[in-house]
Amino acid sequence: MLNQSLVAEVLGRVMRGGADFAELYLERTKNHVIECVGGKIERIDSNLLSGVGIRAFCGLRSVSASTTDISRTGLMACAAQVGDAVAQFAGSSAAPSDIHLTERRFGDIHPVVIVPGDGQTGRKIDLLRTGCVAARDYDGRIAQVKGTLLDVDHQILIANSDGLFCEDRQIRTRMAVAAVAAKDGENQSGSCSPGRRMGLEVFDLFDPVEIGRHAAAQAITNLSAGYCPAGQMPVAIENGFGGVIFHEACGHSLEATSVAVGASQFAGKLGQKIAGDKVTAIDDGTIPNGWGSINIDDEGTPAQRNVLIENGVLKSYMIDKLNGRRMGMASTGNARRQGYLYEPTSRMTNTYIDNGPDRNEDIIASIEYGLYAKEMGGGSVNPATGAFNFAVREGYIIRNGKICEPVRGASLIGTGSEILQNIDMVGQNLDRGQGMCGSSSGSIPTDVGQPLIRVSRITVGGR
Amino acid sequence: MEFNVLKKALIDAAEAASVKEYEIYYMETAESSATGFRGELKGMSSSRSGGICFRCIVDGRMGYASTELLEEGEMAELVSRAVTAASMIENDDRAFIWGGSPAYRTPETAPEMVDVNTLSTAALSLLDCAMQADTRVTDSSESTAITEETTIHLVNSTGLSLSNHISVTGAVVEVIVGDDEEKQVAYDIAKSLDEESLRTLAAKTVEEACAMLGAGEVETGKYNIVFSPKQARNILSTFSPVFSSKNAQQGLSLLAGKEGEVIAAPCVTVSDDPASPLAIAHTHFDAEGVAAVRKNVIEGGVLKTLLYNLSTAEKAGVETTANASKGSYASPVGISPYCFCIEAGELSFEQLLARAGEGIYVTEMKGFHAGADPVTGDFSIECAGFRIENGKIGAPLKSFTVAGNFFGWLKEIEALSDEVEVGFSGGFTCFGAPAVFVPGMSVAGK
Repeated sequence: MLNQSLVAEVLGRVMRGGADFAELYLERTKNHVIECVGGKIERIDSNLLSGVGIRAFCGLRSVSASTTDISRTGLMACAAQVGDAVAQFAGSSAAPSDIHLTERRFGDIHPVVIVPGDGQTGRKIDLLRTGCVAARDYDGRIAQVKGTLLDVDHQILIANSDGLFCEDRQIRTRMAVAAVAAKDGENQSGSCSPGRRMGLEVFDLFDPVEIGRHAAAQAITNLSAGYCPAGQMPVAIENGFGGVIFHEACGHSLEATSVAVGASQFAGKLGQKIAGDKVTAIDDGTIPNGWGSINIDDEGTPAQRNVLIENGVLKSYMIDKLNGRRMGMASTGNARRQGYLYEPTSRMTNTYIDNGPDRNEDIIASIEYGLYAKEMGGGSVNPATGAFNFAVREGYIIRNGKICEPVRGASLIGTGSEILQNIDMVGQNLDRGQGMCGSSSGSIPTDVGQPLIRVSRITVGGR
Repeated sequence: MEFNVLKKALIDAAEAASVKEYEIYYMETAESSATGFRGELKGMSSSRSGGICFRCIVDGRMGYASTELLEEGEMAELVSRAVTAASMIENDDRAFIWGGSPAYRTPETAPEMVDVNTLSTAALSLLDCAMQADTRVTDSSESTAITEETTIHLVNSTGLSLSNHISVTGAVVEVIVGDDEEKQVAYDIAKSLDEESLRTLAAKTVEEACAMLGAGEVETGKYNIVFSPKQARNILSTFSPVFSSKNAQQGLSLLAGKEGEVIAAPCVTVSDDPASPLAIAHTHFDAEGVAAVRKNVIEGGVLKTLLYNLSTAEKAGVETTANASKGSYASPVGISPYCFCIEAGELSFEQLLARAGEGIYVTEMKGFHAGADPVTGDFSIECAGFRIENGKIGAPLKSFTVAGNFFGWLKEIEALSDEVEVGFSGGFTCFGAPAVFVPGMSVAGK
């Protein structure tokens, strides 16, 4: 994507400012979005992103600059801007030194069969329409269906003053169908949006018909649901996207982004018991073709499988290079950025609670009165206080150990440190769900996951 | 690459491809920031980004393509991608390239971006003010000063050529207060870097965070709720898609067919003003090049109009309200308000609390992206705030939810305070509201 000797020259220019580390990140990304509304193709977008981000460290301080001008002149100007700013920190500039780059090739653990580029638009339209039609035909009360098929071809080059020069190509494909059911002037919605770090062969795994029907079924269920009652109660949270509870209640607070600056409830707690005995949680960027998977992170560190919590005990944080310096710890391969405009920081990849000892039927049977959260929506957290929230998209009341009538409009809230201790049963049907996670380094694809779990007590925000 | 060079290459490429109706939309943004942490500069960053979007009508349908690769040789490829997209679109709505409005407001001159030294000094000074404001402020607190400027050019095949240049400079502070037992966080923004603004921002944010220390829980039940101006505007912002005529025409808004009907309490008027003095960034034309205008969307509780662009207006048989928008240069033309405000009421804030009598003053709401659904209007949101006792602010409260439905919420608003506060935003859309009193809402707590 860029000539190695030019990259070395750019990094050398940055280092002249007195930096102790310099890095170049080049991106060329093709985004395609096809949208189908009411059975018609409403929108076909193709966007080409292209730019470079240059970053330098001087101790614990960082300076960064980015530009879309990737000509030699543009790159050198960007490098000079960073180098000169670093010189203010460093107090003196350094003697010119040569940067020697060595190309490293990491294996691709996420093979792609059918690259979903511009030439595949007709095929993508057919797939998307199939999903949308299946949703519309599911039930006469489905009033509207909106479907999106998006694919990203994200090519990156990372080089740094330690001599690293590497490239990666990340291809992701996802279909999202949202269905609206209407009755008596009221709307209810349902959605389904699976994706993988794969090409169009992803639809061999996920039949578009099933995606559409799933979204429609959820909207129809919610149409007959009353409002969820409010108050504290036990909650059984289903597998897959249910894992958003761990992502929000704990995951963000284990990112070095907040830990390194003391703005996390779990800072300084390595080796301590922070969760129920049955909770083992893992962040694994190496899962083949996982939505949140990587070959290398956005600093060029190979992807890893990191055990974060083992039987309730905190084992590891998720760490990037700069925050690692502050913490005196090595990178765990978790540095991620949306693109060249963002500085990388520690982020999750595929994060999940592992299978536990409990049988799923025992978990439901154990609840006298509570909520069965079958499908979850997104959420958010403040890592410093640990206060988090997330939404229930499809829920049912549990009475006397049995799943009963559907309820809608609920959210679950709590404090991470408290809720992790309240996870007292962990089932055995681990699955993962796909999401886009937003934080200071932009919006990135992440998987959440878990088997069915029981939280003994949590505040249910109903009416 | 100069815009004029790219424009010429693009026009030549369009002509070569026999494309007669087209629009070129160019956006360029430069941004710089400095961050203070533990008494020092932690980082500095700057960026220059932007791109070009080409859209064209072929056989009555609009195709889009966009790129950041701003090279002359790339422009023919851009036209080709847009033409291909147009050939595959099935939307039957009429597509428009706007010939120009009779008159446009004269845009104000944008202030210059500030230099890096000014940013560094402001960030450190803001952090220092925050650290000095209270002994309970921890060294995890952080400050950032930001300056940004954006240039937009809209040129189309009718000869219309419009430009806008805006610039925004401000500072944010995130204050973390407390000890090992309990921490509270507050975050706020100043729209200027002068000393007085920074001092006021620091003092206000620290006071907000400290006031929450010792927050307790509240019993589940029904409460009178007073939403702070910030949270009232967050609710308005979250549900603003329901005012889009596009969503209404697609069956995604329950306001479809409700123009002229009562949809809110009589005290509620919602205006949309592209030239509002309360907003930081102004534009005199929308994303289709139509002159931007002020309008009341709700007046005395009656829905006067939805927000339209050229296509949706034609479909509805009305005039556009000039609310065509683009989130970035690459976005398709959507619909958004400008400065969208619930207008002030008549009560002072103290009188509003007195009217509520007993209840909860909600100052923090989080997770709107997940806990609120514009399609149904339902929301259930994590909140923090204070008890209202005898019409006065009482003890702090945390970890509760307030749940309701936006359409019911609009009708149940009983009173509004007399001062509107408008939020900060990067683009041309911002939201404002006074404090809002709604009786008897569902609260989940302990």
